[in-house]
Amino acid sequence: MDTEKTSWAMRILVFILFLYLLAPVLLVFPMSFSGDQVLRFPPTSWSTRWYSALLENRGMMRAFWTSLGLATIVTALSLVIAIPAAWTMTRLRFPGRDFLFNLFTAPLLLPTIVLGLAILIVFASMGLLATTQGLVIAHLVVTLPYALRVLAVSLGTQNLECEEAARTLGARPLVVFFRVTLPMMMPGIVAATALCFLVSFDEVVITLFLTGPRISTLPVELYNYVYNRADPLVAAASVLLILLTLAVIMIVERTMGLGRTFVR
Amino acid sequence: MHNFPNARSVAAEHLVLEQLGKSFGAVDVIPSLSLAVRKGEMVAFLGPSGCGKTTTLRMIAGLISPTRGRITVGGRDITHLPSHERDMGLVFQSYALFPHMTVLRNVAFGLEMRNVPKPEVRARALRALEVVQLSHLADRKPRDLSGGQQQRVALARALVIEPSILLLDEPLSNLDAKLRDEMRVQIRALQQASGITAVFVTHDQVEALSMCDRIVVMKEGHIEQFGTPTEIYEHPASPFVSSFVGRTNRLRGTSDSRGVITVAGQQIRAATAEAQGPVEIMMRPHRMRLAPAATDRNVPDATPVQGQNSLRGVLERLTFIGDLVQYHIRVGDAEVMVEEATRRDQGAPCAGTPVDLTWQASDTLVFPAAAS
Repeated sequence: MDTEKTSWAMRILVFILFLYLLAPVLLVFPMSFSGDQVLRFPPTSWSTRWYSALLENRGMMRAFWTSLGLATIVTALSLVIAIPAAWTMTRLRFPGRDFLFNLFTAPLLLPTIVLGLAILIVFASMGLLATTQGLVIAHLVVTLPYALRVLAVSLGTQNLECEEAARTLGARPLVVFFRVTLPMMMPGIVAATALCFLVSFDEVVITLFLTGPRISTLPVELYNYVYNRADPLVAAASVLLILLTLAVIMIVERTMGLGRTFVR
Repeated sequence: MHNFPNARSVAAEHLVLEQLGKSFGAVDVIPSLSLAVRKGEMVAFLGPSGCGKTTTLRMIAGLISPTRGRITVGGRDITHLPSHERDMGLVFQSYALFPHMTVLRNVAFGLEMRNVPKPEVRARALRALEVVQLSHLADRKPRDLSGGQQQRVALARALVIEPSILLLDEPLSNLDAKLRDEMRVQIRALQQASGITAVFVTHDQVEALSMCDRIVVMKEGHIEQFGTPTEIYEHPASPFVSSFVGRTNRLRGTSDSRGVITVAGQQIRAATAEAQGPVEIMMRPHRMRLAPAATDRNVPDATPVQGQNSLRGVLERLTFIGDLVQYHIRVGDAEVMVEEATRRDQGAPCAGTPVDLTWQASDTLVFPAAAS
């Protein structure tokens, strides 16, 4: 009986905690179906007009496709760079290895605003502002540390004897990598893909410095929109973003299982 | 080519290590190791952890490169050959099965690496699984198998490529006692049936004694003794071998020029008595007998039985372990253990009573006392 009481108290506590964390996310849903001209809660009338407004907003839609393309390219590049890098740093011993690893993952600790300013200064002199290449490179600075860290953990926890077994069975080093190492780090690769994609898709701070009228991403476009107006269109966009994020998480869950991918 | 004194066996030598050495930084893990394994025999590397047995095995497999020396197989120098060109089957303590492949694909891996035609790969892999009685699990993933089954898959995977040498690194350590006994018999049977040369790394003397043709007893990176199980057990080359292989009693004494050894104020003899001065004597517990102490009227010391040793002590405690009784007897400041098979009609002596220990002088091993 006693345990049941405490577990009820615990449940209520957890419920409150989740409510607190998720309230802003949950509020967005009713607000997106508002029929009002301005963003307020609770809405006085209901409609889906802001969803249609969003889909008809050409700037917004263009920014969405830019973000989607950008996140895809950035994720692919992150994996192509981070997989060999993580392998090198977990499998080979060389002087300065730990220093290099810390250097690569340092952007995780830096304030993004500092990174954004630094990138702005460098890119301005190179003519990379408001270009796709510029955005890709800037996003890589943010996504690579995530990818590297997740993949290094994945490689570090692998049973090295599997690779050794493959070697004694006659597999050349490249064959060992593609037939044993890479398949065994699949959960790590899926996790890194999801993280990189979401980080790039959501990136605002650095992107703000690099976008302009020529090119803009969805988060930046939303930010600019809210800056000028206060209608529920952003709520509708937020709902779609939440659903996209959920979709990514679901795919990860279906293919690997969240526990196996993110919790080690 | 090789420089070994035993010319008779040169033709049969298969795996030869010549002054093989490994250093990690400034640490000499293996100073210099030389031995020859004959074709078709199973040799155990036996020793406590950290004695260098696994390091040696990994050098043979090509997973670490030796600092010095040479490794040859069938006369061919493989010292600097990468492991994937060495043609060795290695079974790991952790099994090291590929978790993302089915059992069949695991076993087929080595054959695929050898560019064996596809239909033949499948047939041979299935046959290898049949040998270890696991063909019904061919399509399962390793994680669905028990430890013993995984171990058998690992064995099939190593044997299917018909390697020139089978290397086993503590293959039974992760299994429970009953399974370990079964696998011991099975591995030995497989090895003998295929006639493959095998090296078996273990810290378990029972595995080494029961499975292998010869045993290399290792300590701190060098070979203490290399011999058959009987030689190792009956004629250990050092106190270390004697106490590591089987149970043994160690007593300190002093040997005089006539070969009489004084232990705790009492005198005994040994079969051989080359050592003089402080010595260590060793006796196997099960080769000793226990009797109630003789009374003063028929003092045994005065008329000892020819070739038999006798020591008087006090029975401190006894431990009943089913088929054996272990008696712990205090002799001077040392403790001696005697093992006897249990009998139902046996009247056990009480703790605290004086007893006489007797054993054959020929069962007494004498070593010069270690500096410690």
